[in-house]
Amino acid sequence: MRLFKKKPAKSIALASALAIGATLFGATLSLQADETCQSPYMAKIVGQEDFVYVWTLGIEGMGDGQDKLVTVDVNPKSANYGKVVDSLSIGGRNEAHHSGFTDDRRYLWAGGLDTNKLFIFDVHSDPAKPTLHKVVTDFVEKSGGVVGPHTTYALPGRIMITGLSNNKDHGGRTALVEYTNEGEYIATHWMPTDQNLRGAEKTGKYADGYSYDVRVLPRRNIMLTSSFTGWSNYMMDFGKMLQDKQAMKRFGNTVVLWDLHSKKPTKVFDVPGAPLEIRCAWQPDHNWCVTTTALTSKIWLIYEDQQGEWQAEAVADVGDASKVPLPVDISISSDDSRLWVNTFMDGKTRLFDMTNPHKPKQVYEKVIGRQVNMASSSWDSTRIYYTSSLLANWDKKGEDNEQYFKSYVWNGEQLVEKFAIDFKALKLGRAHQMRFGAYSLYGQVRPEDRQTSIAGLDTTGK
Amino acid sequence: MVFRFFQPFLIAAIFVTTVDANSINPSVISAPGYGELAYKLPEIGSYQLPPLGEASNGEVLIAEGEQRTLYELFNGKYVLLAFIYSTCSDVNGCPLTSHVFYKIKSAMQRDQVLASRLKLISLSFDPEVDTPSVMGLYGNNFRYAGSAGEWQFVTTASQQSLDPILKSYNQVILRETDSSGRTHVGYSHVLRVFLIDPEKNIRNIYSVDFLHQDLIINDLKTILQQAQRSGETIKLATASQQTSRLSKPGDNKLGYELSDYVTDSQDLELRKGEKADLLSIANNPPLGLPAIPVPVDNPLSREKIELGRKLFYDRRLSLNDTFSCAMCHVPDQGFTSNELAMAVGIEGRSVRRNSPSVYNSAYSKLLFHDGREENLEQQAWGPLLANNEMANPSIGYVLNKIRQIDDYRGLFEAAFDGRSVSMETLGMALASYQRALVSADSPFDRWRYAGDETALSESAKRGFEIFTGKAGCVACHSIGERSALFMDDQLHNTGIGYRESMGFSPDKQPVTVAPGISIEIDRAIIDQVGEKPPTDVGRYEVTQNPHDRWKYKTPSLRNVDLTAPYMHNGSLSTLHEVVDFYDQGGVPNELLDPLIRPLGLSSQERSDLVDFMRSLTGSNVDTLVADAFNAPIGDVGEGDPSWVHGSEVEVR
Repeated sequence: MRLFKKKPAKSIALASALAIGATLFGATLSLQADETCQSPYMAKIVGQEDFVYVWTLGIEGMGDGQDKLVTVDVNPKSANYGKVVDSLSIGGRNEAHHSGFTDDRRYLWAGGLDTNKLFIFDVHSDPAKPTLHKVVTDFVEKSGGVVGPHTTYALPGRIMITGLSNNKDHGGRTALVEYTNEGEYIATHWMPTDQNLRGAEKTGKYADGYSYDVRVLPRRNIMLTSSFTGWSNYMMDFGKMLQDKQAMKRFGNTVVLWDLHSKKPTKVFDVPGAPLEIRCAWQPDHNWCVTTTALTSKIWLIYEDQQGEWQAEAVADVGDASKVPLPVDISISSDDSRLWVNTFMDGKTRLFDMTNPHKPKQVYEKVIGRQVNMASSSWDSTRIYYTSSLLANWDKKGEDNEQYFKSYVWNGEQLVEKFAIDFKALKLGRAHQMRFGAYSLYGQVRPEDRQTSIAGLDTTGK
Repeated sequence: MVFRFFQPFLIAAIFVTTVDANSINPSVISAPGYGELAYKLPEIGSYQLPPLGEASNGEVLIAEGEQRTLYELFNGKYVLLAFIYSTCSDVNGCPLTSHVFYKIKSAMQRDQVLASRLKLISLSFDPEVDTPSVMGLYGNNFRYAGSAGEWQFVTTASQQSLDPILKSYNQVILRETDSSGRTHVGYSHVLRVFLIDPEKNIRNIYSVDFLHQDLIINDLKTILQQAQRSGETIKLATASQQTSRLSKPGDNKLGYELSDYVTDSQDLELRKGEKADLLSIANNPPLGLPAIPVPVDNPLSREKIELGRKLFYDRRLSLNDTFSCAMCHVPDQGFTSNELAMAVGIEGRSVRRNSPSVYNSAYSKLLFHDGREENLEQQAWGPLLANNEMANPSIGYVLNKIRQIDDYRGLFEAAFDGRSVSMETLGMALASYQRALVSADSPFDRWRYAGDETALSESAKRGFEIFTGKAGCVACHSIGERSALFMDDQLHNTGIGYRESMGFSPDKQPVTVAPGISIEIDRAIIDQVGEKPPTDVGRYEVTQNPHDRWKYKTPSLRNVDLTAPYMHNGSLSTLHEVVDFYDQGGVPNELLDPLIRPLGLSSQERSDLVDFMRSLTGSNVDTLVADAFNAPIGDVGEGDPSWVHGSEVEVR
């Protein structure tokens, strides 16, 4: 009987320096692979992921109308490849949005931007069938009024959560909130404002106090946050908002640099036009992170200059800004040489050459659907997955409101579609953020392999 | 170094992207703990390390047959606790931990505080191999760190005594197996080292990136310093804190359309205010206002106002606990919303009209823009039950929810002579608070009703002449001999509603995308992402009288400088735009109010008119906003009706 296809002791994952943060004590669970947007502290899947968990928004009048965590089998060797293998409804429409694992990757924290609940899923007991482990319902009360838990980002033994809004005016002023892995509130870190810069330097004209995404570069001891908008805007009908002159003044125009260890802001940069997703370079000599501005359609580089000072610089346009392509999710390759940028309005994914991060160049584009939001790439950049939904009330209306999960392979020259799942046809809802799962993370064997082994024993027995 | 990756179960996952071990780049990066920190640490004492939960107890062996609890080992000291196993060889795993501990132990030779206050504990998670004597031998390797301070190497008697410790410290250990099925080749485990204070609170958790002696010592000294100062307020960097006018918007976007816009944002953590004597204010309205009309069956009382205030800011009074009255009637935004032309309700549902200000609503005989309600007691139920506002499914639902919220226990009974919460008492309480929000004694009032010639600027005085003369504004925004409400409790067609219903949308729409940056967006793009706007025919919807189409209630102009944007649909952003609109004679339509006509105002006259309206801000607005800031904001907490979520999950 032969259980394994390759002799294990001969194989090793390529260790990237930055992945040190994810090193596992005493060995192994892999340093690389998987989504390049994950926290560097986190154990990562090596090679082929088994599942993609899609945090999905319920649609009133469709199916059970509830938000759900949808599990898609994405392992080509699986009999269920390309199929939804599980759907876990969690009650209500909470404006499901982003999610993130704890540093040990055993739990997936998923936030509801509307109801401010945090749903904590157990993804380790059975990676094919996550269960709802815990719900935090008092996030607003405990945090002192932070609304809209957005990014849930793993730090050692704890989760850093960015807020988008507050319970005073549903505007954009907000804070970062820390929780323990066990779901206990730790602290609230309010964003710097003009009234209280909290020790930070206002480098330009803006200190709006807004937040959106968070990423860290541990070796430089920095944390970066971007800025979006408050509850009133992200929950509002998109068309209505575009015509509301007051609402359009309520977008973030800042990126804040923090001292990671002390969680204190050090610089507030002007990055006008709603900088959203942040991705930091992985290579040990690349002291930079990148973000895109949704409304002004630019790529911004946040980098450490030769004097050791951090700077913000607009480095490229994304499409034609006058057509409001609306850059949304971005995905950086593990060697930092490429950046996928999705533009919601034209449904395109665009690939930028980041060899010189100060001069990104678009080298490829493809229409994924009538609308596209999230992109999630494997570490080796060969597989990339897309979903459609931006926000419940921002998605396109009528026929244009496609809701899908699509799997592609990047062959070095173009994206080739492998399969697509219509989330409306399956009455699931709006497909939003994706996170990868794998049996190997938890010392488990795929059922197929278990069967192989049993079959082998049976054969031997005969 | 040795790479012992690959327990068999990983193989299925890794064979696709792995390479042969022989080809690995030998220059594997060592963890920061092996070298100098590449960045400057924050100043000792300048930051906080809030407790991360309690460090658990457990039974360990310090020597053969000598059992102790972890708490006994902690012994009232600061503790660094690491989980290791002696045969571990991953350079960035246990050896890193022991290296960093060695450095700290060495530093104890020079640092008496460190030596006397900190204790290092390395606890094995491999009790089978790591007997007390093995741990003793392991510890002996580090004897050259010197004798100062204490570093203890301990283990457990068995896996059974180890497991609860691992669980409580959230340490998941995967035992590795090799391809021949041997299980004892190593462990997989997320590296975590715990800094624990004498009260047994975990104060920091270090993973590979953070495990560095300088950083740990910095943290320890920070906690020590703060513990010594306990009782004192820790001085945090709060440079440029300043007191501010509370009634100004906390997120001021004045001038956002211009490229020289600078932010003027207030800090939410500093958003605090003093409670005001609202009953006294309501009973003695400020200069320029008449006595407030109070229904015979709902006389004002301190208890009712207080209860109404609590209800007004309670977000639990909505279907999904996200909406209070104050989410649309924001105190520092003129008790309306400066941030939206038209309101949005629960789940972001579109509301057709601009949130009206609550200031001086005590005097309104007609409520809502179409005047469909007649008193504040009844009006309160409109938003509570509207599907696109607070979306409560029924009256009973609201009452039942309040009955179940602990912090309302006894409050209705105390305010209403023993009567509990009911449709009536809830409306009465909310009405009482809103009724008390009276505001006047503005520069205009002091000039007009107190004879203070210096109270009003010259331009505002000229504006008053235009207001009452050439422009004829006073015909609807009335001013009396002894008081002024600046409204007529009537409804008028100015053409704004007509234009919205019957006008054509331009092919392109200017949209501000950043300060000073506006772009023209195609209508098609907007339509792609927008629902068709609902129609709004104004008063007609209440009376069904075609003559009432697009009539809306005259709002009071008191505090009008605080309540932008303007008109029933918030379509005019500034007072200048409002004056221009009326100067042009509104929007012609067959039902246009005859009072609306082109005015032929000069630029100076328009400016004077705006100055006049800006003189209508009451002197007590900061007091009322401070009182609002003082009010508790109701969000879901432990024991509330929405606390329970499903039966199978642990809910917190």
